[in-house]
Amino acid sequence: MKNEWILEKNHLSYWLRQLRKAGDLIGPLRDKGRDIVFRSVDQIHEVVLDSPASLPSPKEFLLPQYDPMLRLKVTSDGVNLPSKPQPVSPNVHMKESYGKTGVLDLMDKKKRVIFGVRSCDISAIRLLDRFYLEGYRDPYYEQRRKNTLFISIVCNNPDPTCFCIGLGTGPYLEKGFDIQLTDLGNRYFVQTASAEGIKTVKGISFLFSRPRKTDYDDQYEVFLSATARFQKRISLESPRRMILAGRLKDDFWQKVARRCFECGGCVYDCPLCTCFTVTDRTYPDGIERIRLWDTCLFKGFTRMAGGILPNEKRMLRTRRWYYHKLIHYPEVLNEFGCVGCGRCAITCPGKIDMATIATEIKGLAINGEEE
Amino acid sequence: MTNGKNIYLPVNGKIEEIIPQGRDVSLFRVRTQMPLNYVPGQFFMVSVWGAGEVPISVTSLFGADKAVELCIRRAGFVTETIHSLKAGDPLWLRGPYGNGFPLEISKNRDVVVVAGGIGMAPLRPLIEWFMKKPEDVGRVTLLYGAKTPEDIVFRDEMEDWKERGIKVLLTVDRADECWKGHVGLVTGLWQEVHSDLKKATAYICGPEVMIKAAMGELFLFGMPEERIITTLEAHMKCGVGKCGHCYTGPRYICTDGPVFSYREIKDISIP
Repeated sequence: MKNEWILEKNHLSYWLRQLRKAGDLIGPLRDKGRDIVFRSVDQIHEVVLDSPASLPSPKEFLLPQYDPMLRLKVTSDGVNLPSKPQPVSPNVHMKESYGKTGVLDLMDKKKRVIFGVRSCDISAIRLLDRFYLEGYRDPYYEQRRKNTLFISIVCNNPDPTCFCIGLGTGPYLEKGFDIQLTDLGNRYFVQTASAEGIKTVKGISFLFSRPRKTDYDDQYEVFLSATARFQKRISLESPRRMILAGRLKDDFWQKVARRCFECGGCVYDCPLCTCFTVTDRTYPDGIERIRLWDTCLFKGFTRMAGGILPNEKRMLRTRRWYYHKLIHYPEVLNEFGCVGCGRCAITCPGKIDMATIATEIKGLAINGEEE
Repeated sequence: MTNGKNIYLPVNGKIEEIIPQGRDVSLFRVRTQMPLNYVPGQFFMVSVWGAGEVPISVTSLFGADKAVELCIRRAGFVTETIHSLKAGDPLWLRGPYGNGFPLEISKNRDVVVVAGGIGMAPLRPLIEWFMKKPEDVGRVTLLYGAKTPEDIVFRDEMEDWKERGIKVLLTVDRADECWKGHVGLVTGLWQEVHSDLKKATAYICGPEVMIKAAMGELFLFGMPEERIITTLEAHMKCGVGKCGHCYTGPRYICTDGPVFSYREIKDISIP
């Protein structure tokens, strides 16, 4: 009750302009093609709400595709310089100290407000927090997470590919978000669930009013109508059980793998796929250690010393992707490694996205067939 | 040990000495300014700026706290670069990572150490540990297989090990004119082990096929699953369970391993 407000829609643009003063405002914008992408917002009116899912997910603001981590200063005597002059790196901060060892930490300390995020993506970030901050804490993720405020919007009109409803990761969240908005036509129903979210709303409290009974009624109605609009109702529990019961033999996965193009599109667009590779890049005055997105679907992903390829068969790599999300995520974190955002269904050219495969497995279970 | 709070920030080490060990393999002694605090079975992410980072297991026993010995085979781009370095050159380290060998399970028991090729590297500190504490352990037998006599690592040290009571059995895949020892697989040497395998403990490291064969056979001989220990290798980029490369089944070889018992890995394909 306490952390709920009403924001009139004609106040939204003013609120966003105020938020932009605290940090970079990121929102869903329509790209030159038709895709929706999360980018820095220049004109507030360009933000597209009630649009199809963005590609990729906003995970790129916590785990960028290209993420410089460290930089070693190179002196004339130390390391071999490249014979050809390289372009000057965009990541140099000349004034910053390289410290005693000559290594500069390229930590991204920018403050960001990401507006218009979907509930499924917020659920994914909640899981990413557990993965990146439990055990060894990933300092780059932690720093960005700390400096990012997420304002999510309840999906009143889910896409045909969405199936968060079967996984409890959307379209409306009870917890785990900073600020959640529900579109009630001429106003937003606003909820806050984190200290940062509460602080943000209270900092500009004159924009917000307390909800009245009619607001709660409308909010509930919108919620009911949204849940009724889902075209896909998929549970991942049945495929999980089929796999654990050993009812899916290699033949099944071979058929799936035959439809895999190994493009890695599902991995790049998935809000929960986070594998990265690390590489060193040499510039005239320094060497940078950079991490980049990587994918388990590529053959070289597990290449070991001496050229041994443990997952040389494509079937093993395809299966690994599903096993990780359907079996191993629940085993370790007690939740599926899928939030039902449906992006893999949009991207996959072979139509072996999570929802399709889960449905195929369920079909086998119902027909009592075994592959 | 990491440099400050950032787990990806390596510390600057200096190569003190490089000792060649057979073909394509050298032992690098690296000294740092900070204590390293490692135990046998753990590994370091070793890097040369501009070339990259690789996981390398510790080859020396703890105690040498600001220095570590790393036995490195020339196998790819980064290790090739490391082999081009000289004493005095910098080598960057972060770690140690991984769980290390369980030493308590071999207390007062006979021990069989099975190694293949460069797989000797992580097992060398174990042998040193058993020599340091002979009263804690029963009879120690080392079975070591290499491709050719030239590929045998720590050959000089093995003489010392023999003198100090370790039974060393060597075998090669291909002999040369001078070779008078065994020829064939390391798993063909079980009958030379004069220990009761049901009561003994085994530590195994080597190529995947060798590990699988040795573990399976020892289990058939009646050795309990939890006392058949191996250490696994995988492609790694972070060493801290984040990059996903070494993920195998529900486990990350870097943080859940690299040391596993047969019980833990018999159901999953290794690596």
